[in-house]
Amino acid sequence: MSQIAALIVDDSSVMRKIVERALRQAGLVLGEVLEASSGMEAIKLLGHTHVDLILTDINMPNMDGLEFLRQVRVQNLAPDVPVVMITTESSEEHVRNAIAAGAQGYIRKPFTPDQVKDRILPLFGMQ
Amino acid sequence: MPISKPTARIELYERCLDRAVEEVFLLMTGTHCFPVRDCPVEEREMISAVIGLAGALSGICVLSSGAKVALRMAGMLTGVAVPSLNETVKDTMGEICNMIAGVWKGRLPYLSSDCMLSTPTIISGTNYQIHNQRPEFRIERFYCFENCSFTVTILSESAE
Repeated sequence: MSQIAALIVDDSSVMRKIVERALRQAGLVLGEVLEASSGMEAIKLLGHTHVDLILTDINMPNMDGLEFLRQVRVQNLAPDVPVVMITTESSEEHVRNAIAAGAQGYIRKPFTPDQVKDRILPLFGMQ
Repeated sequence: MPISKPTARIELYERCLDRAVEEVFLLMTGTHCFPVRDCPVEEREMISAVIGLAGALSGICVLSSGAKVALRMAGMLTGVAVPSLNETVKDTMGEICNMIAGVWKGRLPYLSSDCMLSTPTIISGTNYQIHNQRPEFRIERFYCFENCSFTVTILSESAE
């Protein structure tokens, strides 16, 4: 399996490391792992870097995760790249909004590595 | 779903908070955390993470502990021992408080999508207390994991 380049967007550096660890524990072979602390920062990264997977929080300053996702889709910054929300917001309305904005998956915090595995691996044809 | 009796509502909030704390610790650290009667303050240096609540319920959720307990939490969450009260510890406290607040409100259908969370604010120092002018209610619960105790407080100015 080829290495997957991932972009992790969360205003918490601790959470970004936890997500990266969970992806590796899930069996994903990660190549480059980019980090951004806000939607704005992530958009700048996507302007000049290709990734295979984007994981983003919702509640962040300087552009929240939903607006970031909308901009990614509107600006065609990451065509065909799956975006998965990782967030404390768990209501059906939040999930619907995320899917409507173009997300391919939704993981609620707190999470286990197995939950990450169940959501992420199928996006790459793995189980 | 409005709950007419204030006592019943507070009891429900407390039960949901206990379950939220248990869930966050179990899923993120594999550690069992349970409610206790009190939280003896044995450390001078304290740290608190504050998450604002807005919308259907207006108030704050506060996670407070001594510095050594916070170091322990950060080590458990990150998998790496943290030697001092640094940015990692503050970040960890903010994230744990964020998750507790999120799971708590997620267990209450009338808050789940209509109560928003702020990003965390961290307070650290010695001998401080957090006051709210006239809270409609105040829930203060104490918890313990591996002989470490901490407090979670929810203060609300208004609730539907």
